[in-house]
Amino acid sequence: MTVSDFRRSASEFWREFRKVRSGVFGLIFLAIFICILIFEPVIVPYPEANEKWRDITYWQDLPSSAPPSWINLFTSKKRAVSESIEEYAFSETLAGAMRIQEYVFEYDYSASVAPSDIVFHASGVGKPTVVISIERPDGLSIDLYRKQLEMSPTQDARVSIDRSAQTAAMNFGKKYSPSEGVQLQTIKTTDVLFSEAKQGMFRSPSPLAGIYKLKVTLLLQKAEEKIEDAFVTVAGRVHGILGTDNSKRDIWSGVIAGVKWAMLIGLLTALVSVSIGVVYGVISAYVGGWKDSLMQRIFEIFISVPMLPVLIVMSAIFKPNIWVMIGIMCIFYWVGPVKTVRSMGLQIKEETYIEASRALGASNTRIIFKHMVPLLIPYAFASMALNVPGAIVVEATISLLGLGDATIVTWGQILQAANSGGAMLSGMWWWVVPPGMAIAFMGMTFAFVGFAMDKILNPKLKTR
Amino acid sequence: MYWKYAIKRVLYGLLMYAILIFIFSALFNTVMEQTLRAQIEEQIRGETMRMTSLNESQLENYVINRRNDLYSLYRLNKPVAERIIWRTWDTLTLNLGNSTIIRSSKGSRSVWDVVSEAVPKTLLLFSVAMLIDIVLGLLLGLKKAQKAGGILDKSTSIGTMVVFGMPSWWLGMIMIMFFAYGLKIFPSGGLHSTPPPEGISYFFDLLYHLALPVLTLVVIGFWGRAFLTRNIVLGVLQDDYIMAARARGIPERKVLYGHTMRTSAPPIVTMSLLALLASVGGNIVYEGIFSWPGMGNLYWIALQQNDVPVLMGNLAITTGLYICGLVILDLIYGLLDPRIKVGGRQ
Amino acid sequence: MDNILTVDNLKLYYYTSKGVVKAVDDISFSLNKGETLGLVGESGCGKTTTGFALLKMPTPPGKIAGGKIVIDGIDITPLRENEMRRNIRWEKISMVFQGAMNTLTPVYTIGKQMMETLQEHREMESEEARKRIEKYLNLVGLSGDTVKRYPHELSGGMKQRIAIATALFLEPKVIICDEPTTALDVIVQAQIINLLKDLKEKLDLSFIFITHDLATEAEVSDRIAVMYAGKIVEIGTNQQIYGEQGPCHPYTRNLLAATPRLHAKVSELSFIPGAPPDLLEPPSGCRFHPRCSLAMDKCKEEEPPLIEIEEEHMVACWRCEKR
Repeated sequence: MTVSDFRRSASEFWREFRKVRSGVFGLIFLAIFICILIFEPVIVPYPEANEKWRDITYWQDLPSSAPPSWINLFTSKKRAVSESIEEYAFSETLAGAMRIQEYVFEYDYSASVAPSDIVFHASGVGKPTVVISIERPDGLSIDLYRKQLEMSPTQDARVSIDRSAQTAAMNFGKKYSPSEGVQLQTIKTTDVLFSEAKQGMFRSPSPLAGIYKLKVTLLLQKAEEKIEDAFVTVAGRVHGILGTDNSKRDIWSGVIAGVKWAMLIGLLTALVSVSIGVVYGVISAYVGGWKDSLMQRIFEIFISVPMLPVLIVMSAIFKPNIWVMIGIMCIFYWVGPVKTVRSMGLQIKEETYIEASRALGASNTRIIFKHMVPLLIPYAFASMALNVPGAIVVEATISLLGLGDATIVTWGQILQAANSGGAMLSGMWWWVVPPGMAIAFMGMTFAFVGFAMDKILNPKLKTR
Repeated sequence: MYWKYAIKRVLYGLLMYAILIFIFSALFNTVMEQTLRAQIEEQIRGETMRMTSLNESQLENYVINRRNDLYSLYRLNKPVAERIIWRTWDTLTLNLGNSTIIRSSKGSRSVWDVVSEAVPKTLLLFSVAMLIDIVLGLLLGLKKAQKAGGILDKSTSIGTMVVFGMPSWWLGMIMIMFFAYGLKIFPSGGLHSTPPPEGISYFFDLLYHLALPVLTLVVIGFWGRAFLTRNIVLGVLQDDYIMAARARGIPERKVLYGHTMRTSAPPIVTMSLLALLASVGGNIVYEGIFSWPGMGNLYWIALQQNDVPVLMGNLAITTGLYICGLVILDLIYGLLDPRIKVGGRQ
Repeated sequence: MDNILTVDNLKLYYYTSKGVVKAVDDISFSLNKGETLGLVGESGCGKTTTGFALLKMPTPPGKIAGGKIVIDGIDITPLRENEMRRNIRWEKISMVFQGAMNTLTPVYTIGKQMMETLQEHREMESEEARKRIEKYLNLVGLSGDTVKRYPHELSGGMKQRIAIATALFLEPKVIICDEPTTALDVIVQAQIINLLKDLKEKLDLSFIFITHDLATEAEVSDRIAVMYAGKIVEIGTNQQIYGEQGPCHPYTRNLLAATPRLHAKVSELSFIPGAPPDLLEPPSGCRFHPRCSLAMDKCKEEEPPLIEIEEEHMVACWRCEKR
């Protein structure tokens, strides 16, 4: 087959392919995935999701287990969204050698459900005393925090109101509402701080809307102590496009980051294994005789092994990384096309032009690779497309069992966290549905493409 | 003719199994032996606990002697190759040893007891699902083939492709979230309620617990079955002998259900069984999601608890069942396709 | 001589996505009782399609677009599928298909298939049915044991004989043979031809014999119809077509000329230039004119009708006149 032959059959193939609507859709979806791949750093708010997936500090400012922000569109009880407050009113007074700096941040609370947390960040030098209080729209002020805080010029020091001011908030609440029979540890600090001060504020809080002033006073004693970059982040009760998991990770970032791994795993496994399988099948068909029988025996040994149980045990014991896992998957997947390819090969072998080639003195390698294999390329492509979803699911299954490669993020791993984090029980659908849908969607894409190719190659299945 | 083929196939399957177990034994030998040594130490310790009358050096001697005894009993003092062969033999004769932690429902630690208890539960779940799957799939597939290219055909083909890459366990998670925790119609897992009811209620309770997992499996599976049936039947319908049968005046009903289905049966049956076998691996996670106490779930538990003997035993039995399935597949195919049953030209 | 089969102005068109292919375009002929009518032509001229049309089983997307078919006095044209299946097909008219190797269902024994066909048409006791099957198997030269066999166990020649036996055993009036010997080797070919001739005499059958092989046609047929591009261009007796004077139509003459004779010196093989026309857009006028060395202007404009140039000899050509 010459290049022009190849080009002609390729364009003919494309013409046929265009007619199959599902195939075209498949290609469109594939194009979408590739776009996502290319534009990943732009579309995700947390571009280092892949490397920092297991780094708690990367995610520490997000709310935990928060549903996606857009659910606010569907409810009247709006939940507070995440935001960042960078502006503040600043004043500094001197008391002897001590400098008293006051930062006042304004937070406009207009939702019906309080934010998850309010976090004060500052970098600097020294170990000043930090005093934080909050002034509510109803005029009441609450002292939240008073401690010395170690500052660093490179890393933010953080004060999380939700964690550090829990007792203060509860004490505040107790002044207005009886607390017998109420499990105070389970009540969220912010829920108390942002609700009307009245009876029943623990059990059924009513939101107190308005401007809240967060006053941060820093007492700097030594001359070299200083504060830089002070700001406040509000972790909402909803977050992002797909919410967060119970480790505060943005699920949208995770899912998008997983696209490249899914495509890599699927395509690489499919490519390598089908290539091996096709070549193996053709050679087996061509050589015939006892060599063929031997190759078939070897093939049968491989096919008798149930892939997943063995893969699981190997992953558990040898703890491979993603590349080794792909390699192992190829070891199992190459057997797929062999039987069909071999029977096709046997048919081609009987063609007279093969005999003619041999009579002309063509070497075996030449006959196999120049005459037989090209005829199988369409089948190989269809086979590859149809193998991709399987490989992705296998990896997801291994990850779900907690045996995946811990240095990357895959959809299976997200689901594993969901399962062990009790997402189903808590009804955290935004954690369970999207990664699985991503798997299913990518599978569907390759199924569309693969089946369309299959339809063209199998004229018997053509319908009017 | 057929019996010769059948016997050959069965023997071949046994040989294959032996080879595989040998490979596994070699691969996992080190790990198994670590566990074995640990178990031996545990045993010795248990024995020495009660020997309060002996002094220090006597104790030490005892321990050393006992250890040597046990090592030679378990052949740990033989060369590696021999150990692997012995392990293979043990596995093949179903002498699978004891578990590290896991016990069967009757408290036994024998791996065989633990694993064999789980086998019927897995078989129950997957045979019920497969049965429904095949029946529905066959019917739908036939309908699709009859009006190929029509609306039913096209729309159900889309369905097939949508679930093609969908992990069954994920759909299970969704179903559980929705039906069990959300609408509270079905239980979220397990074989039966605790405590299990008696008599006929036990049967209904079982069905109740089977419902969701079977439903999920069928939803994922039967599209593929229908698609496959449709393709094979379509292919056969275009063969000359179908046209010839019609020309001879055979009524359409007989042509379809007799000539067509009968010829389509071998490939459909084998591919369906193959698909079932392929899911033997997948059910590990699937059973876990539904807390179904079958072999797959056992696998998961053994993994989490790092119970290597149970893991190995389970692997051996799973592989055995898998190969069994492949052999049965070939036998059924041979039975259905006279070209194999009766052999070549006289 | 009475007509056992008459065909008037039969049209069978294939309605494809690219257009209407006029595979059989207004043909008329008749078959007399006890005679073999040969249907000859190149591949794609419409002869096999004609065969299927006579059974009213056009291959989709084909449909009978017009004409009349009368078999044994029954006009089958208006009959519906059910009636065709029950009363006409295999009872009045049967067919031995091209490539009979593939026309037997691989998963049923020969006996089952033959029995099924028999019992579908006749109320018969199994014993009686069995006897009849055995009788016809013997007639075609096979033993009664063959019923236990599966199709893949038999040779091509044996399967062809079974096809013939099956086509005969309901004793239909007309039997269509579509290239019954094409896929077989020469020796078996001869056997089958002799068998057919033998059966025709013994059972007084009427055959339509479709082939592209002129030599075979000469052997078996009493009368011959030559088809080209969906039309019948010449019909004559065996003697008229193959005899001294030879046929009249240029196409037929060229066909015969292209067949080398065993005893003549051949320095060059003659052939008909060009290729069969595209039946989506057939040539105007006489369909053969692009390849005809004798074409006139009239041939391009007007389609010649079938005219009788001798008794029993019809030709559709402007160049042919009464002899």
